[in-house]
Amino acid sequence: MTATSLPPTSSPDVRVRVRVRRLTLYTVLVSVAGLFLGPFGWLVLSGLKTQGELAASPVHWLPDVFQWHNFARAFTEIDFLGYARNSLIIALVYATLVTLSSAWVGFGFARLDAPGKKVLFGVLLGSMMLPQMVTLLPTYLIFAKLGMVDTYWPWVLWGLSAAPYLVFLFRQFFAGMPRELEEAAIVDGCGYASIFWRIFLPQSWPVLSASFIIAFTWTWGDYIAPQLLLSTDRTTLAVAVMTAYVNEGGTPVLELQAAASVMYVVPILLIFLVAQRGFVAGMSTSGLK
Amino acid sequence: MTVHQVTSVTDRPGAAYAGRAQATGRPRISMTARRHRAFYLFTSPWILGFLLLTVTPMAYALWLSFTTFDGISPNWRYVGLGNYRELLSDPVTWDALGRAGLFAVTSVPLSIVAGLALAVLVNRPLTARGLFRTLLYLPAVVPPVGAGIAFKLLFDQNSGAANGVLTFFGIDAVGWLADPYARYVLLMAVLWGAGNVMIISLAGLQDVPRELHEAARIDGASAWRAFRSITVPLLSPVLLFQTVTGMIASVQTIMPLLLAPLGDTSGITTIPQSNYLYMMHVFAQYFALGRYGYASALLWVLFVLILIATGLIFKCASGAVFYNVDPEAKK
Repeated sequence: MTATSLPPTSSPDVRVRVRVRRLTLYTVLVSVAGLFLGPFGWLVLSGLKTQGELAASPVHWLPDVFQWHNFARAFTEIDFLGYARNSLIIALVYATLVTLSSAWVGFGFARLDAPGKKVLFGVLLGSMMLPQMVTLLPTYLIFAKLGMVDTYWPWVLWGLSAAPYLVFLFRQFFAGMPRELEEAAIVDGCGYASIFWRIFLPQSWPVLSASFIIAFTWTWGDYIAPQLLLSTDRTTLAVAVMTAYVNEGGTPVLELQAAASVMYVVPILLIFLVAQRGFVAGMSTSGLK
Repeated sequence: MTVHQVTSVTDRPGAAYAGRAQATGRPRISMTARRHRAFYLFTSPWILGFLLLTVTPMAYALWLSFTTFDGISPNWRYVGLGNYRELLSDPVTWDALGRAGLFAVTSVPLSIVAGLALAVLVNRPLTARGLFRTLLYLPAVVPPVGAGIAFKLLFDQNSGAANGVLTFFGIDAVGWLADPYARYVLLMAVLWGAGNVMIISLAGLQDVPRELHEAARIDGASAWRAFRSITVPLLSPVLLFQTVTGMIASVQTIMPLLLAPLGDTSGITTIPQSNYLYMMHVFAQYFALGRYGYASALLWVLFVLILIATGLIFKCASGAVFYNVDPEAKK
């Protein structure tokens, strides 16, 4: 587009202009990227400072000595691993169930017909736009009445009932698969359940993994549902990182909180980096069709 | 069954053909019925879940909004529209609503413009393009709790980097996390996730046919003109989707709570005035005061307002949005 598309006889004047434009472009990009990484870098740096350095005014840019043991203390000061285990259990249970149930429902919308399908699909799309916070608060009251507060049952129920967004993802994927696939199976006397299970599901690994990762990161990152529904020792890492690093006076111990949030965030970043392609494909499909 | 068929075939040769026709004919009728039944079997988890976990709570909240229910006192009662009347006459509600509206009309366009600009930047042929895309998108993956803590540290009055930069230039340190500056920190914390819009717009940009831009270049259109007249119209469905989901997300954000000195629900009282958005007002009524009836009325008002806003956005956009659909594919 730039240097290569120029005719070989282009004047040095044009070449200089191209070079300046390129330089500006990269300067802008590098500074924006730096700006975007800044907050996370500051979080890591704060996790490596002493309490005194974090209270110092004016700012203490770099720690005098890197306080690596903050990370170890973040583990022992509260039951970090216990909370991480809670988060992991909830996220795994929810992500597994919601992926399977959404694939199941998505298959119905992609491959089957019945009177009322159009209306239901409209409701499904509309429900993607329902503000979840509006339903969550009364849901909390209902779960409290049913004695499901402080259990993981809410996540099981949410998982079983499929997520509209993921249903849509699966529906798009299944709708694109050739019709012969299921026709051959029907001739062979296969029921729809086994067509779904044996033919469609094994072919949908890209969507299955994208859906699983999206659901996992949702749950790992969710703050308000566990904060409402779970007690202090059954709650998730998100809630613990936000609320548990306080001294007797109730003031946050910032260096430990910073170290803990790094350890809380990094697994999600790693998952994203490893699974980037599928994740991004999933995110962008949702915005388009 | 098979035995019967075999005997019937031997008894009446002509019946074999009729039997076969019936065998294929009958399943064809029940095939449709089977498909219908299967459709409802497959979609039932979502239908049931939607009825039990979405419609029921909403209906319950609607009922509660007509009562003084607080979860504790046994003699709560039906007050009709009392909560709604109180809500309308409460200046705190109006202020919180105004702030939420202001936050939506600033944060949503800003993140769309920022995301779109980033998308255009990283859609150019660049060295290390993948790396730039990843770096710019990464903050959007950081969970809200992580973002909240990072921004609290970044904008700490004493030891934050923001004030460090200000004092370096000889400007007085600012109490970023308090009034009136807290709103800007909130805005920046939300804009940090603009990579989300970038990724979705990027997918749209890649679908813009190359020939269109080439034709525009030959016709002598400037890059800005080509962007305005080709890229933006083709991206408009994506931008509309971003506007609607962004608006709904901005109304629900819990970032003000996460940026408050204490991040748990008891920290609602520590949220600075300028970040006391409508949702935080709901939280305060719900958790700090336990006024479930009144808070439910607040929730229903919000729900209806979101519906109206979504409808308005769609209506205003109906003329402006360009759907590049193949007319053949339209039924």
